[in-house]
Amino acid sequence: SAQEFSFKFQSSDPSGNPNFELQKGWTETLEERTDGKVKIELLPVGSVVEYNETQDAIAAGILDGHITDTSYFAGKDPAFGLIANPVGAWSDPQQMFDFMSEGGGKELMNEILEPYGLHFIGATTPGLEAFVSNVPLDSVDDLQGLKMRAPEGLVQQVFAAAGASPVNLPGSEVFTSLDKGVIDAADYSVFSTNQAQGLNEIAPHPVYPGFHSMPLVEVSMNKEKWDALPDDIKTAFEETVAEFAQHQVSTLAENDQKAVEEAKASGEITVHDWSPEERAKFRKIAIGEWEEVAAKSENAQRVYELLTSYLTSKGLVQ
Amino acid sequence: MRDDDLPDVEAVLEQEVAAPLPEAGMLGRLIDRGGIVFAIGIVLAMLILIQEVVLRYFFNAPTIWAHETTVFLAATAFLYGGLYCTVRNSHIRVVLLYDLVQGRARRVLDAVISLVCMIATGFFAWAAWLMVQRAIFRPDGSVRFETSGSAWDPAFPAFLKLFLLAVLALMALQFLILAFNFARAALARHSETT
Amino acid sequence: MEGLGFLFDLKSLGIEYGTLVMFAMLFGLLLVGIPLAYVTLLVALIFALGWFGPASVPLITSRVYSFVSSFVFVSVPMFVLMAALLDRSGIARDLFDAMKLIGGRLRGAVAVQTIFLAVVLAAMSGIIGGEIVLLGLLALPQMLRLGYDRNLAIGVICAGGSLGTMIPPSIVLIIYGLTANVSIGDLFTSAFIPGFMLASFYVVYVLVRCWLNPALAPLPEPDPRPLVERLTLLRGIILPIIVVIFVLGSIYGGIASVTEASAVGVAGVLLSTVVRGEFSLHMLKAAALQTLSTCGMIVWIGIGASALVGVFNLMGGIDFVAGLLTGVSENPTVIILVMMAILFVLGMFLDWVGIALLTMPIFVPVVINLGYDPVWFGVLFAMNMQISFLTPPFGPAAFYLKSVAPKEISLGMIFRALLPFICLQALAVGLLIAFPGITGR
Ligand code: NA
Ligand code: NA
Repeated sequence: SAQEFSFKFQSSDPSGNPNFELQKGWTETLEERTDGKVKIELLPVGSVVEYNETQDAIAAGILDGHITDTSYFAGKDPAFGLIANPVGAWSDPQQMFDFMSEGGGKELMNEILEPYGLHFIGATTPGLEAFVSNVPLDSVDDLQGLKMRAPEGLVQQVFAAAGASPVNLPGSEVFTSLDKGVIDAADYSVFSTNQAQGLNEIAPHPVYPGFHSMPLVEVSMNKEKWDALPDDIKTAFEETVAEFAQHQVSTLAENDQKAVEEAKASGEITVHDWSPEERAKFRKIAIGEWEEVAAKSENAQRVYELLTSYLTSKGLVQ
Repeated sequence: MRDDDLPDVEAVLEQEVAAPLPEAGMLGRLIDRGGIVFAIGIVLAMLILIQEVVLRYFFNAPTIWAHETTVFLAATAFLYGGLYCTVRNSHIRVVLLYDLVQGRARRVLDAVISLVCMIATGFFAWAAWLMVQRAIFRPDGSVRFETSGSAWDPAFPAFLKLFLLAVLALMALQFLILAFNFARAALARHSETT
Repeated sequence: MEGLGFLFDLKSLGIEYGTLVMFAMLFGLLLVGIPLAYVTLLVALIFALGWFGPASVPLITSRVYSFVSSFVFVSVPMFVLMAALLDRSGIARDLFDAMKLIGGRLRGAVAVQTIFLAVVLAAMSGIIGGEIVLLGLLALPQMLRLGYDRNLAIGVICAGGSLGTMIPPSIVLIIYGLTANVSIGDLFTSAFIPGFMLASFYVVYVLVRCWLNPALAPLPEPDPRPLVERLTLLRGIILPIIVVIFVLGSIYGGIASVTEASAVGVAGVLLSTVVRGEFSLHMLKAAALQTLSTCGMIVWIGIGASALVGVFNLMGGIDFVAGLLTGVSENPTVIILVMMAILFVLGMFLDWVGIALLTMPIFVPVVINLGYDPVWFGVLFAMNMQISFLTPPFGPAAFYLKSVAPKEISLGMIFRALLPFICLQALAVGLLIAFPGITGR
């Protein structure tokens, strides 16, 4: 086959992670769909630059693209943090996908991202994250004074507003800190990953499905290189990313289901599920925090307005 | 025979903490003196961590700033530490062959090594400038310092990138001064012996 | 000009020759006497320029930025500060005098106790830099003062100090767990016994060497003082034990994270100097300045290595390693052995983070497909990294010790002293392959 385009993409997932395997599957699909014209070498997290430096590396032409959580770039513009993880907005991945494709999310994302030298091709997500906890959590009240790890950004802010005491720990210290009780709970990953890495064993009160976080994972690439692609290749990119997103969500949901059953069968892990009322209560606190972020930049304000009008039009918020 | 500036070196080693290379010049002495700022930063980082442990464990009131501040203090100390070692010539090197070279040839070798390191750090300083541009300007050219994106959201990433640029630029300049002084010493000795 | 021409188009070498040239260049520039930190940075720069052009150079500064701003490295200055304070107080001397007394008439007793000390430190830290510096400042001068053989002392410190990544908590195992998506708790549990096994190899080696050659470890002179007076020497061990209880208690009692606990250790040592009436602002200042300088040395070595790995990965390093493994053999044991050989060779030139980034994506799926347990392989990987810390030319443990050792101890001496310990580590790797049950899996 005639290989015409060869790109290097870096993932924000480590190589053994199921997300990475699925992303690799996407690169293969794309190669097939373009009759071998596009070949993407997918590199695991940190192999060329750190996870939060890929945007700069792509703009500089060092990498060609990335598959990464957009909230890592909240430090460049708070808008990235808000669009990537509007805590409380989505209760299903399809809602987010619909917002991105039909609700103007994709266009807005490109208006914000393109000046940085990148083109946004499409969105995916590992789905709703599960919450890892050492203590039973069934309501917003249970979060009071809870020492918990949350990553950078809105998630941390929302938990603080809900009365928890967020501790700023790096991912590499989550395991030992949970194990020894330095923290009681953590925002970590989806249920199946938490289960595989043994987090539910040391903190046996996971909340699933999570109520707090569903990251937008962007597939994007260097804008100049994107602009130079022929239209049929561009279409192939967009179509395969959309298919990949669906495939990832369904595969991981299946993995999660299996892991939940495994956890329940172990007899030592209690899976907690919040009532719709408690979820609504948490969502209300979260939306209050959106405004704070929106005030931080013009772009964030635009994200806020688009999001709220979309959610209102769909009847998802009153 | 003994090299004639060896007694100086020994006198320097007598002191509890070694001193900057004489060839590092005025800049070297300034960099050496500035070390205390970052040394204090390390002690401060220790105190902040202890404070965080106490607040969290005994008062259930973790701060949102302790860890980011600690990382920032450590990072600036690490970067400055590299510069500090350069002016003190305390970076680790393999001296198997280096030690065989003596006298004037050693000075020439020192000058060449410093020159090579100057070129490299000069390149890095230029690359750091490209990085800094993206950390302190928005795409439209207006100024916005890159923040960490956390709930506290300090502009540490921009500060640290700026600091890295400063360290690399100073390093390049320091290597230039070293190369110049080593070369001068090599030539001076040459005229003495001929 | 023709000779330099290749510099501007390294890509034409292809990844195989490119890798060879890279390693040769590292070796050559090292021997010229360029400071190590700049050797790796320089090679990274030459390959970035020659393979991709000037636009790729920001990749190096990006890695420098990310390296220094990573939270786990905060424990390095803490350990070094602890060491610098201990070095300036009488605590180290009193501790080793007490250890000598406890060791009694057993030849090599102080070396054995130093290994024990190293294991205790290993339970306090997840990375090795600070630990080796601490042992180097604390134990090396004392062992030499007590008349121990220099090579034995060096080996015990570097090999013992590297145990930090084998005995939990361990960043190597955490990174492996994240990469391979296996339980970090299982990795910690499984690495425990192999870690102790390795430490006990060191102990047996020290005892046998000293028994065969008594000159390596002189027995203490009979002390003419009465027993009661000698027992007061044991006081020297009380403060260090309290500090250890502080630190381990704060980690295992859920009071502090591993990184925070290193700061607790500094506070403990500072309080000890106050209790002993040795504290002064001058001492604190000198210790802090030494910390700055030592951290500058060891962190910049890591910076260079990290930058080089970034460039190598962009060159296609991962595919290259994958290529080494394809079609090697049908025999699973042979494949595992080839992996070990690759890890050993990479360990000579790269640091463990780089090796993990380079090999894990390829090795882990292969290992699982062959039907092996990925947790067992993680322990095997950590054991291999023990070797990488000690092997020349890029042996981080040797560099860390060199950064605080007396001037007359050269890198060559350190590497020679490490040889028998590398053999012991290789033996441990062999045993883990032959008897996977050691990991309890
Ligand atoms: Na450890
Ligand atoms: Na090595």
